[in-house]
Amino acid sequence: MNRRNFVRNMAGSASGILLGSGLLQASAAETPAHATAGGSAEARIKKMMSYRKLDAHVHLGLSNDPPELNVDFAERLGIDRMYLSKPVTRGPGAPEDFRACNDVILKAMKKYPNRLSGMLTLNPQFPKESLEEIKRCTGEGMTGIKVYYQVKINDPLFYPIIEKAIALKMIILMHAEASLGIAGYRMKYDQKIKPLVSRPEDFIEAATRYPEAMLQYAHTGGGPDWEYACKALRHHKNVYVDVSGSNNENNMVEFAVKTLGVERVLFGSDNMYYQSVGKIMDARLTEEDKKKIFFDNYNNILKKGGHHVD
Amino acid sequence: MLIDINAYTGHWPFKQLHGNTCDGLLERMKEYGTDLSVITNLHGVFYKNTQSANDELYREVRSKRAFNDRFLPFGIINPIYAGWKDDFNTCVKDYGMKGIRVFPNYHDYTIDDPNLVELVKMARDADVAVALTMRVVDSRQRSWMDLSTEWPMKDYLPLLRAVPDAKFMLLNLGTNMALSDEDVKTIKDGNVLIDTSGRYITHFANYVKRFGKEKFAFGTHFPVLDYYSGLLRIESLRKEEANEEDRELFRHLNVKRFLKL
Repeated sequence: MNRRNFVRNMAGSASGILLGSGLLQASAAETPAHATAGGSAEARIKKMMSYRKLDAHVHLGLSNDPPELNVDFAERLGIDRMYLSKPVTRGPGAPEDFRACNDVILKAMKKYPNRLSGMLTLNPQFPKESLEEIKRCTGEGMTGIKVYYQVKINDPLFYPIIEKAIALKMIILMHAEASLGIAGYRMKYDQKIKPLVSRPEDFIEAATRYPEAMLQYAHTGGGPDWEYACKALRHHKNVYVDVSGSNNENNMVEFAVKTLGVERVLFGSDNMYYQSVGKIMDARLTEEDKKKIFFDNYNNILKKGGHHVD
Repeated sequence: MLIDINAYTGHWPFKQLHGNTCDGLLERMKEYGTDLSVITNLHGVFYKNTQSANDELYREVRSKRAFNDRFLPFGIINPIYAGWKDDFNTCVKDYGMKGIRVFPNYHDYTIDDPNLVELVKMARDADVAVALTMRVVDSRQRSWMDLSTEWPMKDYLPLLRAVPDAKFMLLNLGTNMALSDEDVKTIKDGNVLIDTSGRYITHFANYVKRFGKEKFAFGTHFPVLDYYSGLLRIESLRKEEANEEDRELFRHLNVKRFLKL
């Protein structure tokens, strides 16, 4: 049977079923171009823009993208302010490395003072220089600390950093993972990834030692098993989670709220802007909860150090 | 009008899904004003005999007028399992399906398997789309029982080159997108439709520039992913990035042309 006959015969023999066709025929004539029964694009965008937003986890300088891209997405998605950081992701993380990273952020903060704030990075393996860097960068207006995987958050090397953050009433945003084969979790699946990365269990140890510290478990959408992370952190009230990252699995935000309580859940993008806003907008949560996640929760953290918005 | 080209019903064995029934999907569709959804039964990823999943989906879609009017079911075909040609014909001739999905990584065959190539030729001859899903879930947080590796997009492209006159849907661009110039040309020259759900679409306007505005259509990958992000990529385009006619292409016109709806 040739192709044309096959198609013709198929149309004749198909049991009269054209699934989906009923609405298609009706809607072509009756439905406005972009305002179907359940809501219009304009109404959705207006609603999305109506939420004030503080991006508690976002970077500059980890790719070739300039700060103008951050600002573009801030304006595009109604993000009042981004709390930028540039952690050291390669090499030894020597003082000259983390100072250079922070200089990139400081430059962007000065260029876009109404949209971009900064979080400093450091390396606890260099305690003296790290404490000096905290002083330098907070003096320039930075409002938090972001560290990658040079040292686990429960390592004694981190203690003076945590103690300084407590004194300054600043949050520490720590890169985190909870995937198979990473940093001690089911290592028979070892993926040879970053043995010093912080796991939920490491956060728990640090949070227990320092109950007055504010620790931010990074990006539940950035790769970790988010159910594992939230369940592990459940009883440790001074650990917050940001729901940033490229993974926008349905129910991720709801699960974090249900497990941790809404006040411990923060909006962040990790530069994955669409899905970080989208997953919260789509979450089966109340208006009040969404406002807390997008803005109030992080603003309350900033308020403790006198860095809040408005 | 709004058409979602990438949605599912059914369970994922390693994690509880929400809204993963026809009723659950329909609820989201009403909320967002989606008129039609291409829908596939996730069970077919795991059943050895995928046709059982296709039968389940067909029965459920036929069980209510609202489902029948608003869902476009795509069957899952496993071309290395006995009776796959019968399965294809049942889906296309008896069930009236306008597309099929294949999962070579889950069903454990290669992209150049002769049976797969034959299946795609059958789809081409029946004017039926073949949907390739870059990944279902994020492997970084996979279950220890799930696949340990993902296929980057370039690993799917030999199939497009093997049957260049077939029509392909590339869904959930969530795996590595490093492409050679030849790879990009394969996509641009092919009869290809890409959905907007994937995480690698970090700046949608740039993707439209790279591949062409006729190549994209709204997709959610719901209920695995949230419902809104794929739509937000379209709706947050600036006027200078896409005019109203372009947005209509993404919302429904491209898929209408592609599937001849």
